[in-house]
Amino acid sequence: MRIGVFFCQSAENRNLNIDAIAKYSANLPEVETVQILRIKPLPDVNFISGQIQEHKLDRIVIAGDIPGYYKPLFTRAMAIAGAGTDEIYLASFQEHGARGENAMDRAKAIIACAVMGVPFPLAAVPGGNPVNHATLIIGGGIAGIQAALEIANAGKQVYLVEKTGTIGGHMAMFDKTFPTLDCAACILTPKMVSVGQHEMIRLLTKSKVMSIAGKPGAYRVKIKKNPRYVDVSSCVACNQCAEVCPVKVKSEFDAGISLRKAIYIPFPQAVPNAFLVDAENCTYILSGGNKCGVCVKRCPKECINLNEKEEILDIEVGNIILATGYELLDATRIEQYGYGVYPNVLTSLEFERLTNASGITGGRIVTKTKVFNKKLNKDEWIFSPEGLPPRSIALIHCVGSRSRKYNQYCSRVCCMYSLKFAHLIKEKVPNANVYEFYIDMRAFGKGYEEFAERIKHEGTFVVRGHSASVAMKEGKMFVKGEDIINDRFVEFEVDMVVLAVGLVPSPDTEELSRILGIQRDSDGWFSELDYNGSPTDTDKGGIYVAGMCQGPKDIPDTVAQASAVAAGVLRSLTSGKGIGHLSSLSLSEIESRARALHKI
Amino acid sequence: MAIRVNPTFINELDRYGAEDVQLCYQCGDCSTVCPHADEVYRFPRKSMKLLQMGLEQKLETTLEPWLCYYCGQCSEQCPREADPGETMMSIRRWLISRYDFTGIARLFYKSRTAEVLAIIIVALITGTFLLLNGFSGGSIKVYDGEGAFLPSNFIHRFDLSVGAIMLVFLAINAFRMWKMVMVRGTSFHIPWWLYVREFYQIIWHFFTQKRYSECEKKRGHALYMPWLIHLGLMLGYVTMLVLVMVFIENLQAGPEIQWKVHIFGYLATIGLISGTVYFIRGRFKKHYIQYKKSHGTDWVFVILLFLIVTTGITQHIFHRTGLIELANVTYVLHLMSAVPWLLRMPFSKWAHLIYRPLAMYFAAIRKEALTRQASVQNLYPLVVK
Repeated sequence: MRIGVFFCQSAENRNLNIDAIAKYSANLPEVETVQILRIKPLPDVNFISGQIQEHKLDRIVIAGDIPGYYKPLFTRAMAIAGAGTDEIYLASFQEHGARGENAMDRAKAIIACAVMGVPFPLAAVPGGNPVNHATLIIGGGIAGIQAALEIANAGKQVYLVEKTGTIGGHMAMFDKTFPTLDCAACILTPKMVSVGQHEMIRLLTKSKVMSIAGKPGAYRVKIKKNPRYVDVSSCVACNQCAEVCPVKVKSEFDAGISLRKAIYIPFPQAVPNAFLVDAENCTYILSGGNKCGVCVKRCPKECINLNEKEEILDIEVGNIILATGYELLDATRIEQYGYGVYPNVLTSLEFERLTNASGITGGRIVTKTKVFNKKLNKDEWIFSPEGLPPRSIALIHCVGSRSRKYNQYCSRVCCMYSLKFAHLIKEKVPNANVYEFYIDMRAFGKGYEEFAERIKHEGTFVVRGHSASVAMKEGKMFVKGEDIINDRFVEFEVDMVVLAVGLVPSPDTEELSRILGIQRDSDGWFSELDYNGSPTDTDKGGIYVAGMCQGPKDIPDTVAQASAVAAGVLRSLTSGKGIGHLSSLSLSEIESRARALHKI
Repeated sequence: MAIRVNPTFINELDRYGAEDVQLCYQCGDCSTVCPHADEVYRFPRKSMKLLQMGLEQKLETTLEPWLCYYCGQCSEQCPREADPGETMMSIRRWLISRYDFTGIARLFYKSRTAEVLAIIIVALITGTFLLLNGFSGGSIKVYDGEGAFLPSNFIHRFDLSVGAIMLVFLAINAFRMWKMVMVRGTSFHIPWWLYVREFYQIIWHFFTQKRYSECEKKRGHALYMPWLIHLGLMLGYVTMLVLVMVFIENLQAGPEIQWKVHIFGYLATIGLISGTVYFIRGRFKKHYIQYKKSHGTDWVFVILLFLIVTTGITQHIFHRTGLIELANVTYVLHLMSAVPWLLRMPFSKWAHLIYRPLAMYFAAIRKEALTRQASVQNLYPLVVK
């Protein structure tokens, strides 16, 4: 067999050093010639057929990002040269994922397989190992909960790791879901309770994944379980400890608009329904056990142990699901809207908590009131149930999204939740003027466009034009923008501004990608194996992504993806094999496997 | 009337410096932050839109580009980094080439080689002419009076003829501008007396550049004062133009310093040198967003002006210190750089000296005429309490 390797590669793929790959392929057995062709304009068919005749080639390998594009050309060249047209193999760098850190090794393996005439996935995907029937899910938001329930309901063991004290994630913070305006908690809390009570789910709150070893089907995971300081099984959430606790800090669950104690329960429906201690703020823990400790004395069940130590757990699982979610972009970075400077400029999550019936104002939409803080000796702006309702509210879309300065991408949910806010405001404060500033209305899902139309008819001023600034003049807040459709400038005096802040990956994404060896895209989200074909798989076998950690998506999509992941996990469990993916083998392994296959 | 769309218009403007227009997604941030945009003249977004849509004929009748002084706030704010400020600048370049009936401006803007070549050729012709003239009638050892190398009455005639050529071109172009903007581009009636009533606008904007001063905002940089520098540069230039065209014989008299005229010359020189140095420095350092991108013509503009000023003041000093030969040589060099400059003026950036005040004038007339129409009431800002 006389083989010719032809590179048809545009210079765009910066990860690949074509010269080095060409040198490598020249050393492969039976390779007669290696040529790097220029692709603009297309290589001349007569030249190629001349080369085929000159080197007496009977097999051709076309290498590049999209070699299939050039295949007709080479087929013709082979026909002109009088050789058989069957022996044309494609070494497709793009299709087989030669990108990222080990792009070069992957590209070499792809070439080696093509030269030997072995399909790359056959050589590169390891055969199934016996699979461990337990599954690890990282992240206890709606994606993690859904996947956990799907798998556990099929009778398989699930470990659900959550870094905070409760599962529920961001969805627990929401008031309503769009476009159906269902109560988010009514959908989520039953699921949370089933997770908490499920015999097949082991819930690990306040926990973090430290390291991972093993291969698809048999991963050994080390998990650090931070102390909760409260015994979950005996705590009855009677709230007596929080009554006596002297430390007040901003509540994460309420997006910082209300205060909680250092010993607290994130929200009344939390699962596990037990208190926990915030070690970073607890006086007793910070002073090394010398001060305070009143909660321990107060607790009627004697379940508080402030000297609890962290625990390291070693678990063995077959599959891992990543569902780490997202967080909001830091709105203080976008200075023109005055977030953090003007009291009544809120982020979307803050507004979500404000309008929620379980929030600090009991669901009343009010503006902040000025209160004198004796401790800090200065005025503070806080929400209180006695606050005045706003007479007008501006909702500004695309804050930090679709911008070359912050996030290039569209955060997908902001248009819809802003419309939802407009509806909630109109419902709760019917006299308020609501101004919605948008650039493009992205109402893409089922029923979304209808929802947008409905909001427009509810009396919201929908302004096509991004507001560039929020300014304070004589104690009044003004939002200025260009109303492009009506061809005029608009300037509204508003009492409150809600910023539809863009979404960014959760801060743990980077560390996890390092620990697990999962690639991230340029925006920081986890990369799926193939966006269209396998949107839940990663390039590492037995590890899946679900929900926002793969990219912004709304709740229906998240739930659907979580269920899809569960199907992937159950597929591997029922087949009894851990499904490996490409990157689990090294170059030399793939080469030797290809050689073995080649001989058959 | 049907409007013709030029689908490749955006590519054409690319040559004038508007490279990123396609990125714009019409959010309107730029118009909102612009200190000059008002209800009637809302830019830069609208200009960007006309450009994106290829509405060449409509864009050439707009005055918005001339109302922009390029403070760069829009470009700083733009979420797409589409650089609206630079786009407005590019539209101004394009407009200069549209107002120009000869097509020279268009050639210069599109080809830097052509521009530099033309300047060199005119400079050489001027130099040869002056040298031939000088050696035929005088001596290089004499600066002024009998047997002078470049007698002041000869230079006076020479200046006036160059100035006249410049003025003719400029007047024709300004007329074309008026026709494009006020006749073809205005669909509503403009009463003639508005032209009289608003005439002060030309003088006012020419000498104060009031609108430019509104552009300045604090940037925490002591040297940021483009309006002041620009005003100094412009006033210096105009003073010098008047001195050269009218009082050249007094200017050249000497070797004693003629304080009555020379004091103006010195002041003008200070304005011109500080201005050119400031803008050259700005274009090198790229501190501010408006200096980030420099079109070829911008460089030619500042550098040539700097050369004219330095050679002018040098020949003056040589003359006063008795170095007559050197004074004559630098004088020839001065004229060699000044003549191409003057002849180039109607086709270059410097034409904004005329176009901008004219545009302010036209804009005021248009706005006033529009306000007189009842329909304009709807344009006023929506006041919602």
